[in-house]
Amino acid sequence: MPDATRTHYQAELTELEVRSLGGLDLVSETLSRTLEAIRHSDVELAEMVIADDDRIDGRYLEVHQSILNLLATQAPVATDLRLIAALLHVMKSVERMGDQCVNIAKVIPLTGHEPPRDEEMMRDIVTMGHQVKSLVSQCKQGFADRDVELSRDLVRQDDVVDNLNRQCFARAIAIGDDIEMREWGITMMLVARALERIGDNAVDIGEQTAFVVTGLFREFEDASHPGPAVG
Amino acid sequence: MSELTEERFRERAEAPGNDAGDGTSAAAGGSISVQPDEFHHARDIGELEKVFELESLSVSYAGVPAVKEVSMDIYKNEVTALIGPSGCGKSTLIRCLNRMNDLVPTAEVTGRLLYHGEDLYGPKVDPVQVRKLIGMVFQKPNPFPKSIYENVAFGPRILGMKGDMDEIVEKALRGAALWDEVKDRLDSNAFGMSGGQQQRLCIARCIAVEPDVILMDEPCSALDPISTGKIEDLMMELKREFSIVIVTHNMQQAARVSDRTAFLMVELDATEQNRWGRIVEYDATEKIFTNPGDPRTEDYVSGKVG
Repeated sequence: MPDATRTHYQAELTELEVRSLGGLDLVSETLSRTLEAIRHSDVELAEMVIADDDRIDGRYLEVHQSILNLLATQAPVATDLRLIAALLHVMKSVERMGDQCVNIAKVIPLTGHEPPRDEEMMRDIVTMGHQVKSLVSQCKQGFADRDVELSRDLVRQDDVVDNLNRQCFARAIAIGDDIEMREWGITMMLVARALERIGDNAVDIGEQTAFVVTGLFREFEDASHPGPAVG
Repeated sequence: MSELTEERFRERAEAPGNDAGDGTSAAAGGSISVQPDEFHHARDIGELEKVFELESLSVSYAGVPAVKEVSMDIYKNEVTALIGPSGCGKSTLIRCLNRMNDLVPTAEVTGRLLYHGEDLYGPKVDPVQVRKLIGMVFQKPNPFPKSIYENVAFGPRILGMKGDMDEIVEKALRGAALWDEVKDRLDSNAFGMSGGQQQRLCIARCIAVEPDVILMDEPCSALDPISTGKIEDLMMELKREFSIVIVTHNMQQAARVSDRTAFLMVELDATEQNRWGRIVEYDATEKIFTNPGDPRTEDYVSGKVG
């Protein structure tokens, strides 16, 4: 076999993937702080989460520009082309995950410093948060290792998040007549909804892993026609 | 004129729904089949008419193999690209398609090459008629040292084509997207044209004799990007009327213009003294450039190996 060529381009492509998947590490850090802020109604920490989203947005813009440069100058094809197309999706998901953390951080001050709280619902929210953080880590691992099975398993892990989300909804309805408690419950529903969306973004990244490996772009699950996973 | 010449070929070329194919296209050792995915745009080969059927076609020069056991089908009204590194035999292969290798005394072609179902190398086939029906455009534009008009009129005159010569010339020049640029200087010497115009003149000269197939051997390698773009646009127009086979070193050109792409690579024998070309993969161009089936194709189209 002849010697490898285009080593500079290959190095650029590798760096692009590292920078993109590094975006998921930023999300993971942000998510930890967001969960901490929820648990302790920490308004200052929530403000830090909002300010720090610029780092994730910056990474998104940086990777986006690098992708444009590679497309314009290197004319990638085959697996390289699929990888670059997938990284564009991955970064969009990373950016959306960051935004969901901001959405959560923005509602934390609404509940005040010492809100009434329902421990059962709070427990579900925290469990959801940990599960979502695990999904973020799993989707990164799946992509980095090109592991389709691990990526497909994200659907199963995301079902846990979806169930907890439904549980939160039921709890928010049953939370009682106290107006402040209801306000807190509804706010926590918004938090649960944002966490649930982050889980979906992690599954989207898993679908991109399968695309890079197989060349077929299929949703693992069709939200509008629920059924067994396809593709 | 022999019985297996123009009339027979043309009759077959024009017959509707001729030999629609069996849904597979054999490549190396008959093991590779074209199975267009739902998201690929190449037409389903089941609907296509075969222009050429290559069956274990091998070519050698003075007993030294140049291309071994190529099996593939080439379809009507498509652009088929042959790509591969230097020495893989793609030019040798394209020259088989209109018997240009007959002009090389030591060349030997084995296997079968059917053109519209007829053996192109059959004993009664007239190679001159073959080259009229299957025209060729070369890497370097090669106009005759004559006027633009005479360059185009040369072929039809030699062949005794009937009709108004001015109309034949205008139609060919229009077909080659050159008419508007040269209509006021048809008597000028063709050597005064730019390289890109000369190449389009060669295409006009080729289509003036109303061929069925146009073979192009690196037609743009001597041209600038603007002229290349014009030839590529022209190919998209020409394939409505003709079938085109192109050899190109420029993989992006193959990706831009072709419907199907065949990748050939060089094989070495155990002594590494002898080398020949062999087809590795033949499939819809979108498939070759987004999700090739063979890692050797992947490495080549990605430029990972040279």
